[in-house]
Amino acid sequence: MSTKQASAFTLLAAALAFCAWAGAVNEKPTTVRLPWKEAGLSEREAAAHLLNRFAYGPRPGEVEAVVRMGLDRWFERQLAAGIPDGPLEDQLRRLPALRMSTAEIVKTYPPPGIILVEAREAGVIPRDLVPGDLQSEDRRELRGKVQDFARQRGYREQKELLGQLMTAKLVRAVGSDSQLAEVMTDFWFNHFNVSLTDNQTRSYLLPYERDAIRPNALGRFRDLLEATAKSPAMLVYLDNAQSSAASGAATTLERRMRRRPPETGRRMRPQGLNENYARELLELHTLGVDGGYSQKDVVEVARAFTGWSVMPPGKLREMAESRLARVRRAGGLGFHREGEFLLRADQHDAGAKTVLGVQLPAGRGMEDGEAVLDLLAKHPATARHLAAKLAVRFVSDAPPKALVDRLADIYLKTGGDVRRMLAALAGSPEFWSREAIGAKVKSPFELTASALRATGGEVRDPREILQWIGRMGQPLYAYQAPTGYPDRAEAWVNTGSLLNRMNFGLQLAAGRVRGIGMDLPELNGGREPASREEALNVYARLLMPGRNLDSALKLLGPMVGDPDLVRKIDEAAPKDGASEVGDRRPSTPVEQVVGVILGSPEFQRR
Amino acid sequence: MWTRRLFLKAGGVALVTLGVGGGPGFLTRAALAAPGTGSTPGRKRKVLVTIFQRGAMDGLAAVPPIDGTALKALRPRLAAGETALLDLQAGFGLHPSFEPLLPMWKEKRLAIVHAVGSPDPTRSHFDAQDYMETGTPGRKGTPSGWLNRAVGLLGHDGSPFRAVSLTPALPRSLYGDAPALAVTDLAGFKVQLPGADRAAAAAGQGFEALYEQTSQELLRDTGSETFRALHMLSEAEIRGYRPAHGADYPRSPLGNALKQIALLIKSDVGLEVAFAESGGWDTHVQQSVAFPRQARDLARSIHAFWTDLGAYQDQVLLTTMTEFGRTVRENGSGGTDHGHGSCLFVLGHRVDGGKVHGTFPGLDPRALYEGRDLPVTTDFRAVFCELAGRHLGVAEDATLFPGWTGKRLPLLRT
Repeated sequence: MSTKQASAFTLLAAALAFCAWAGAVNEKPTTVRLPWKEAGLSEREAAAHLLNRFAYGPRPGEVEAVVRMGLDRWFERQLAAGIPDGPLEDQLRRLPALRMSTAEIVKTYPPPGIILVEAREAGVIPRDLVPGDLQSEDRRELRGKVQDFARQRGYREQKELLGQLMTAKLVRAVGSDSQLAEVMTDFWFNHFNVSLTDNQTRSYLLPYERDAIRPNALGRFRDLLEATAKSPAMLVYLDNAQSSAASGAATTLERRMRRRPPETGRRMRPQGLNENYARELLELHTLGVDGGYSQKDVVEVARAFTGWSVMPPGKLREMAESRLARVRRAGGLGFHREGEFLLRADQHDAGAKTVLGVQLPAGRGMEDGEAVLDLLAKHPATARHLAAKLAVRFVSDAPPKALVDRLADIYLKTGGDVRRMLAALAGSPEFWSREAIGAKVKSPFELTASALRATGGEVRDPREILQWIGRMGQPLYAYQAPTGYPDRAEAWVNTGSLLNRMNFGLQLAAGRVRGIGMDLPELNGGREPASREEALNVYARLLMPGRNLDSALKLLGPMVGDPDLVRKIDEAAPKDGASEVGDRRPSTPVEQVVGVILGSPEFQRR
Repeated sequence: MWTRRLFLKAGGVALVTLGVGGGPGFLTRAALAAPGTGSTPGRKRKVLVTIFQRGAMDGLAAVPPIDGTALKALRPRLAAGETALLDLQAGFGLHPSFEPLLPMWKEKRLAIVHAVGSPDPTRSHFDAQDYMETGTPGRKGTPSGWLNRAVGLLGHDGSPFRAVSLTPALPRSLYGDAPALAVTDLAGFKVQLPGADRAAAAAGQGFEALYEQTSQELLRDTGSETFRALHMLSEAEIRGYRPAHGADYPRSPLGNALKQIALLIKSDVGLEVAFAESGGWDTHVQQSVAFPRQARDLARSIHAFWTDLGAYQDQVLLTTMTEFGRTVRENGSGGTDHGHGSCLFVLGHRVDGGKVHGTFPGLDPRALYEGRDLPVTTDFRAVFCELAGRHLGVAEDATLFPGWTGKRLPLLRT
């Protein structure tokens, strides 16, 4: 068999295998039966547990609404997702970047460095200006000139872009009815983490979440894997865009043009293998650290992904486009473009590879990486790794092994169908066990979203509340390591973050977080509680519905009932408005009570 | 774990009996510091202070060979604007803007390690900083930072202020399992409701009671640790802090960070690892303006910190680090581009000071890395291992820097 025939054959075999695997996916709406009764829970308790885990916590009246709809039905609807979001959509329409293509985004929000370079070239600012000098007070005029220049060219600031990304995440978590889709988008983003701390990835973060993660969040893992593998954000963040065939190795292009690789290995930059993506693909995205692969596998996987790259931004783009047009006229030559993704045949190592004992024949291009993704997606170690991660997210920091095994099994049987895994999770006795309820500590983002949902808070300007999320230890999109934020209580709860959680609760309830609208009396139908005790009873039940609050109330009781404390709070309220800073008015007893509830240990759990 | 929690409980009891809030800070602190420190009684804890110079400091501008002929030839425009170097008497000069460091050099408290850096060839700030902070060049997935691992390896119980970063967010160096605190303003470390201090104080007491009695162990223990920490720091002491011995901190982010680190050290709240940053070292353009400004700020901040510490100097070891060096040749904009090896400063009583350590390979074109940069002859891990090992007592080099098999660079006297 010739090499060509061999590769065609392998390709066919791989395609058939994948079809069989994909064919197992059930596209019908998933039906579920949630065994909360067997666990001895009341229907309200069960509804609250669902909302605390598969949503960002209950909104006012939502526990009752879920009970009315039926818990099974609610969960099926969440799995199906795509529930229309009316008013929220209007709010999101005000964020223009959400609708721009990646190419438009890159063009509209260039990195500050590029603007300065162009401003310098255009003679807007002196050639010898130190970028840092632009920050100083006496350079305001120059700064203005740069801003004018950027405006003339139609550029907008990158922080505006990131602001839109974060705003969308927050308002969706608070307001979208497709809550599970939001929770899973957050889960998968963190699983396939990329970070804005790498300023090369910044322009790509929004399209990454929008195009690679969200559409696949409740779909097949294999699709998610490929979407992230081809996304500019990941290719840049883990350096695969700079990974090319080692010197002396023949590239796909050389093969197709029947050219010999140059002896010296001199190629256009980038040069040489970069293993970063390959290693994290195996360790973090699929098999897991104990997934049974070797350093040799890492190298072979890296070779399979050589040339997986990104369309260049700026001036280089036109050059690349015209070269690609020439290449197309010559029959493609192994180049492959999908949006911003570009397989560079001139960088792809065309040699044979062996990954986890499986042979990838020589002479291929795109198929190498895709075959590796197939192999990894179908691997039992991947099933175990993902099953454990989902169980940790939705059940507890140390989930029962039997549950993880069952979920892994479902993953393998359904061809990596995330919906079916979630249905199995929600249908498991482990999920509904008493030990699991309230066992997870909320992440700072979950805390924020759940506090806004519980209080009916409205996000008018998210800037300040986003700062709070950062201060509590979870600056959004900014976890530097590809591991993503650790999903366990110890990672979130430490001295500094806990103090900030308490302060966040107090200040949010007191209306001291700018940009957040909140009407606490309205939550209670406009009725003012007669005493602090009553306020506590009423608001604790409103904010933490469907939970057994006996012990929490017992603990909170003495605090708000303590006459000494009441006196202190009363004294603390200034006698006249003049002693307050700016527009600050004294906080009301209801705000104080709500602040303590939001900052309490009970509200930190879900 | 059990033991640690018991200690914490003991700490809580001590607090109550001493009547926290009213009593003198040092009394409370003595009671708090007693349990769980694990170190020899009566011995002050060692503190490792680290400053990350982000942007890649030009090590050749900082500490050039005193015979400047070779460098002048490579950097004619930069050389033209230079004022006279300070002579370090070791074949090297010191950039005049580092002048505030000179007394410590003369007292042999300050050492320099030259041609230090990472074996990874990357010239990306992000990657190189990441690698230096994880301590695993070439590997991005390492979940923890080396300073966090150092804290974990100390092998004794710590205070909530054991690892503190004076930055808005936790740096990669401190990612990991050991609790670490990121704070920019210690005075803000309290239960607060702006404009309503007493309501905040009342709420604080409420929270303390709530967290003390909650059933979830982690929230309970961390809650008690948090309030312990709050009682350790008096806001009045922080706001009214006066640096000792006429120390004059520059009013810059770094000056401010080091001042607060000094405060934490003197307050004896159990600090063992501190992290601060200095920015603006990415001198692609007009280096003759930007470099001296940053150098002066760094040197003045360190000088003030050292002066302020006075008798506490014994406990403290300070080191700088930067992700890589810069090209030996100047570029067309009066600056330098991303290079490879750079230098770093180490300051402390036990430091084998007044010396330039490491191997300086010279500026001969054939000696340069890729024909353009100062090579790395000392792996940064050889330095950090020595510092964490000899100063903090961390013995497990292979855990501190996984995959590294090199040897420590001797820098501290026995």
